[in-house]
Amino acid sequence: MSTEEILTQPANPAGVNLKKVAIVCCAVGIWFLPLVWINPVAYAVLTIAGLAFGMMLFMVASGMTIIFGLMDILNMAHGALFAFGAYVGGYWMLNLLEQLGWVEWGTEAQSIGSFLIAIAAGGLAGALLGFLVERIIIRNVYGDHLKQIMITMGVLYLMTEVIKIVWGANPEVVLVPMAFQGSIDVYDVIINKFRIVAIIVGLLIFGGIQLVLLKTKLGLIVRAGVENREAIQVTGYNINRVFTGVFTAGSALAGIGGTMWCVFQQQVFPEIGLENIIFAMIVVIIGGLGSVTGSFLGALIVGLSFNYVAFLLPKLALGVNILIMAIILLIRPWGLLGKE
Amino acid sequence: MNSQLTPVQLDRISEKNNRYKKWSFWVQILLLAVLLAAPMMSSFRFMDAAAKIMIFTVVVASYDLILGYTGLLSFAHAMFFGIGAYSIALLSYHSASTHWYHLLLAVVIALAISVLLAMVLAFFSLRTKAIFFAMLSLALADFFHILGITWSDLTLGEDGITFSLPGILNIEWQGVEILGVHFGPRRITYYLILVISISLFLFLLRFVRSPLGRVLKSIRDNEERSIALGFRSFHYQIYSIVFGSAISSLGGILYGLWLRFVDPASVLGVFGMVDYLLMVIIGGLGTLYGSIIGVAFFISTQSWLPDILQTFADLFPDVAIMNRMADRWMAFLGLLFIVAILLFPKGVVGTVRDYLDKRKQ
Repeated sequence: MSTEEILTQPANPAGVNLKKVAIVCCAVGIWFLPLVWINPVAYAVLTIAGLAFGMMLFMVASGMTIIFGLMDILNMAHGALFAFGAYVGGYWMLNLLEQLGWVEWGTEAQSIGSFLIAIAAGGLAGALLGFLVERIIIRNVYGDHLKQIMITMGVLYLMTEVIKIVWGANPEVVLVPMAFQGSIDVYDVIINKFRIVAIIVGLLIFGGIQLVLLKTKLGLIVRAGVENREAIQVTGYNINRVFTGVFTAGSALAGIGGTMWCVFQQQVFPEIGLENIIFAMIVVIIGGLGSVTGSFLGALIVGLSFNYVAFLLPKLALGVNILIMAIILLIRPWGLLGKE
Repeated sequence: MNSQLTPVQLDRISEKNNRYKKWSFWVQILLLAVLLAAPMMSSFRFMDAAAKIMIFTVVVASYDLILGYTGLLSFAHAMFFGIGAYSIALLSYHSASTHWYHLLLAVVIALAISVLLAMVLAFFSLRTKAIFFAMLSLALADFFHILGITWSDLTLGEDGITFSLPGILNIEWQGVEILGVHFGPRRITYYLILVISISLFLFLLRFVRSPLGRVLKSIRDNEERSIALGFRSFHYQIYSIVFGSAISSLGGILYGLWLRFVDPASVLGVFGMVDYLLMVIIGGLGTLYGSIIGVAFFISTQSWLPDILQTFADLFPDVAIMNRMADRWMAFLGLLFIVAILLFPKGVVGTVRDYLDKRKQ
């Protein structure tokens, strides 16, 4: 084919990218593949559980991926913020409100209100701790990946011990607000109410992040900062203030994720941070470092596959995530939507 | 004549000539004497601490090879350690009676698994950014930790495995009297660990001074330039990871020999990695001798800090939070870790070397 021919040929005759269509078809095919072994009703239940699980993973991973994309910091302390949010919001705040009789026995409005207050408390706790961590510790190690990972791992370790000092080392039961207890039955498919709440909150957060990133000036600065940090400074913005703001916002997301998570699991324990940081990391790697949409996809993949495999072969549940990560890294070493 | 010698050879010749003039040589002799004499003390706690210091020195020195000499942060080092410890524990526990060839088999299996895993890990993670290596190794290490807990048919889960060793290492062996000193199975095991760990440490020293070790250092300091000089950094980094991980699994076998007990939390736990990191940081990155200081500091702190904190907490018996803080002595190590990275990034040996260099000028 000569150059002229290529130029005259329409690049995309039907107006669709065939490669993209093929990839989407494959993905949907794999999504429905477990139907071969699982009956449809169980499959529907597992899918909703997986979506809820994925949304909660996304809450943790989104903050981590934005912080990495903008600030070039791999923040292991994200797990500490997650655990702190879980303890403050899900455990301490809900127990406090329970003394007022709001959570498990109050009216519908009271229980929903208590849940919202708990989420706010968790987010606030995460934001506050994140602000301090960024200002006191991470500020000193900008630009040195090795030190950043080590020191934030140290923060995670220290916070796990501090949580044990304050709240004790044993797992504690977390109350579920009355309005979200129990489940609803749709054509024999039994759906836990809280899972629907988790999916809605996750979608809201995803939408909110996209809105902020795409429609506001702050989002413009952040997106530009991901592309080129020096250029932002040259145009006169105080990048350090943006860093602190983004770090605090990411920390608040981790705190909210922690609160949601412990209500979902109905228990909370000190090592919850370490356990989730590993899930979040797998999600971030699969999605591509720095990409919010990528980590959304990654979270759904991990959440769904974890649930299907945990149902079919319980012992392989965590292994399958690592396997998926390995396969994706083999094909695209920079993640699904990451940059080369 | 001299021009035909490589810099490495020149360095070795000067090393040989100056050996007995250096004070560090006599420190080493002193250290060896203390380690040889440790089991003669009546206090078992002292012998236990000395044995653990030797074992962890090997592990931390091999970690320093990966972190300090190659500049790669691995969170899987505890996993390789655990693979070694579990390979000897599982073989001894699941066979009807333990024989010497089981020990040999454990070494072979541990080496094979760790070399294979390290190669796979390095192959997947080093293709893009070095940061991936940290993340992937953490995920893999956590997977093995969970495997150790959940695969309870094989590993007995969180309870851990207690096992017995063959021949003169077995607890029931009567021991012999040599020159009026009684040598029981504990002391024999101690000396076995002494010999093996010292030879492994010397091996590591030799490794970092070899041409290969020098290439690793050059890749750490300036990867682009080493590539430009014609070294394939990918290959060299894989050598370093595989070598360090294999030594770590041997350290795990020594740990199994000494304790005759393994459980997932102590040998596979991911937070154990923070302990290794602390030991490396305190001693100083890229200084193998530093790992001895870091490990000695850490092990002695681990043995005595809870007692000190408890006596302190007993002064305020009414304050509940004081007692809880005394229980969580690891929090203080975590704090120490953060402070050490912020204020003394070069560690003890690095700082001392800087000071000596300054005085020379």
